[in-house]
Amino acid sequence: MRIKNLSRRRFLKTTAVVGGGLVVGFSIFGLSEDPLPVVTESDGFVPNAFLQFTADNRIIFYCPRDEMGQGVMTGLATVIGEELDVSPHTMEIVHCEVHSDYANPAMGIQATGGSTSINAHYRPLRQVGADTRALILAAAATDLNAGINELKTEDAQVLYNGQAYPYGRFIETARNLDPVTDTPLRSQADFRYIGQMSRRTDALAKVTGQADYGLDAKVEGMQYAVLVRSPVFGAKLLSFDDSAVANKPGVSAVVSISNGVAVVADSYWHARQAATALRVEWEATEHSSLTSEQHRSELTSALDSDDETTAIDEGDIQLGFADARAQIDGSYWTPFLAHAPMEPMNALVRLGANDAEIWLGIQSAQAAQNLVSRVSGIPTENIVVHNLFLGGGFGRRGVATHVVEATEIAMAVGTPIKLMWSREDDIQSGFYRPASIARVRAAVDGNGVITAWDVKRAGGDITPGTVKNLLPAIFPSLPSGLANGVASTVGFLFSNLSPDSSSVEGLHENYKFANVQVKNSSIDHGVPVTFWRSVGHSNNAFVAESAMDELAIAANIDPVDLRLKNTVDNPRLNNVIRIAGERMREMKLPEGHHLGFASHGSFLTDVAQVAEVSIEDGIIRVHKVLCVLDCGLAVNPDIVRTQMEGGIIFGLTAALYGEVSLEAGRVKQSNFHDYQMLRMSEAPDIEVIIVDSKTDPTGVGEPSVPPIAPAVANAVFRATGQRLRDLPLRLKG
Amino acid sequence: MIEFSLNGENVQTDIDPNTPLLWAVRDSFGLTGSKFGCGAGLCGACTMHVDGLAQRTCILPLSAVAGKRVTTIEALGSADNLHPLQQAWIDYSVPQCGYCQSGQLMSAAALLEQNPEPSLAQIDQAMSGNICRCGTYPRIKQAIMAAALSYDATTKEGA
Ligand code: FES
Ligand code: FES
Repeated sequence: MRIKNLSRRRFLKTTAVVGGGLVVGFSIFGLSEDPLPVVTESDGFVPNAFLQFTADNRIIFYCPRDEMGQGVMTGLATVIGEELDVSPHTMEIVHCEVHSDYANPAMGIQATGGSTSINAHYRPLRQVGADTRALILAAAATDLNAGINELKTEDAQVLYNGQAYPYGRFIETARNLDPVTDTPLRSQADFRYIGQMSRRTDALAKVTGQADYGLDAKVEGMQYAVLVRSPVFGAKLLSFDDSAVANKPGVSAVVSISNGVAVVADSYWHARQAATALRVEWEATEHSSLTSEQHRSELTSALDSDDETTAIDEGDIQLGFADARAQIDGSYWTPFLAHAPMEPMNALVRLGANDAEIWLGIQSAQAAQNLVSRVSGIPTENIVVHNLFLGGGFGRRGVATHVVEATEIAMAVGTPIKLMWSREDDIQSGFYRPASIARVRAAVDGNGVITAWDVKRAGGDITPGTVKNLLPAIFPSLPSGLANGVASTVGFLFSNLSPDSSSVEGLHENYKFANVQVKNSSIDHGVPVTFWRSVGHSNNAFVAESAMDELAIAANIDPVDLRLKNTVDNPRLNNVIRIAGERMREMKLPEGHHLGFASHGSFLTDVAQVAEVSIEDGIIRVHKVLCVLDCGLAVNPDIVRTQMEGGIIFGLTAALYGEVSLEAGRVKQSNFHDYQMLRMSEAPDIEVIIVDSKTDPTGVGEPSVPPIAPAVANAVFRATGQRLRDLPLRLKG
Repeated sequence: MIEFSLNGENVQTDIDPNTPLLWAVRDSFGLTGSKFGCGAGLCGACTMHVDGLAQRTCILPLSAVAGKRVTTIEALGSADNLHPLQQAWIDYSVPQCGYCQSGQLMSAAALLEQNPEPSLAQIDQAMSGNICRCGTYPRIKQAIMAAALSYDATTKEGA
């Protein structure tokens, strides 16, 4: 039985003066007035949205961000635990449900992404921990008849007079006290957990097969569904013939929904087998004959189009070229990419008369709740989202069209529905990192100062499509016409006024150029595009850092020195470049091995990488990668390392293999045989150096991805003399 | 009716014998630790042991295990009795999203069973059928090397 924690909450409101002297009420982080979606255990104490203390001395942490492998449960438990004085390993950590208190402070909605989680919660969650500890101490002082100053705490216990009392001992008193606020936070010198933790709190569940993902969810009476979608993006259903399907074993229904034709059966296997016998006719679209060659040639022509917007235009570019010592001019290609998280998309939806539940792993439980509501008409407050572990996210689970699909099928069929995508669905009918081409013309003077940096980029934009998908997910009652209208307005703005920042990010900001110009032409080929681990930086670091290398070679300047010279105004990046550069000079190389360098700041974190590469039988082999980063204070240094390792391997997969290509408007690749992933035998040794820092932590999930492709390309140039300006990197001849 | 041994217990089922073992184990027997990643034998997420050998069960029909011994991640070890590899996985913080790890562990366990002292190249070879999109390969390698040491000691003690 679910008991929502209504009556026992104590509310606290405060007022604040915000810009312009307007006085507004706001609730303290974790203490808003809406009832919490927390199942209160008998005699459990829920002081705020993030914590529950039980009478049997358990402490439950409701983790507001989604665990997709980045270690956010361990990280945020460490952050709140530091001030609460509870080890992350002492807490039970669960995903929260949907509530305004769980909004990401960096976004204003309940969503996980953009490498924001640790940075955005670092102070708010510590405050919650400190205030809660202060409340427990106040209760303990009353119960033990002691002065607060006589009490200490250690890992979920109050220490007094040589005795240790678990926090749970004081919750009866604590629940009748007024909440405490504004408790001073610990100083870094007193940290016990931040900066120390190495093991992950979710490791045991994940090595024993006990961690539950969306794929593992079950509910009484559920049927399995697979959906046949149009092979050409956005094509409308004309007709279907299910005569060969309906009598296949286990099949209970064939229904058409907004996004295709669903085959419903008593098992995934039956549904999948039967779906192969479905005949479907789709309407042609303007992109039904699109090929990758045509797509690329249209992007290339757009480089010369003046139908463009300007991201930055400072100084005088012509002047910058006037007294150059060396110049470069090259165009760099980055293809569409699929995210391919190991767990293909899935969702289990149960619809009641006026209530619903959904089980899945998603980067926004709020979006899932709103979309179920929007499709079914059931009010959001009656919809429970069971957010489970994500079998990889990388941005892909920020899009929730599968929630709409599953809900529509459940409505049509009348039983709970578990919709499962195949890997083929994932590669061929998903969302993609946009492809782009970018031309760089740049010049450097005799002192190694870059005097001109002129970039033109052409390709798809992420934001209009994201707005179209996200608006209904944020505002469930928004009419679709309006959502589409806003999306096309956004699209219009990006095509005419100012570029989508996701498209141009990383093309110039890391360096200070006196004369700089970055322009963009937006071109939509109907391929759905979205955030892909590190977003525009994943394309644009390849452009900028390959061009830097070319410039250094053209001017006969050391590539590390060139970067150092042009980052003096960016000291944190400058420092990681210097450290990585010094290590690079000391590296001893076996015969035939060559080094490449790249650096890039993204998501507030600065990274420099050195790749050691050789060519064996015409194949690019990456043996070692050195990664130096400054991410502020590392809350869990070992998890930071794993994020660097994982991001480098993710980026190497893209550098060496990643390509989604089109033929007759369809994605050519279908599974891991033709959309290849780096495998263990190809994985380099990776050394990670985290720069010591006392500043607040910054992102680590994404920033290791952007530099690796250019670092490898730059090494390949030294090994072969071939300047590879296309991703994936393919040697000629 | 197909009979086989599942994690040491004799079981039988009358579902379609063409059903891949993965779905039979997950859906009919409720053991969901083994995962689905590709359905084509390309990623290793579905790896189980059949008579001690690592098999991709998304392409292995149920009929092929009649009379055989099937072992899944659920029987590799338990929270209070971890397999040395599971302990090493925790010690080296291997899992990220964790989705591929049941398959990784089952491949590694089959390797050590056959070759308790694998070289790095042998580890690479045995593990290259298992994809990890989160990029945990360097840690998996370290964890296998570490587990091999203790595994070897355990088996020698037992001998
Ligand atoms: S799911 Fe079996 S090998 Fe991928
Ligand atoms: S840990 Fe995520 S796929 Fe391996």
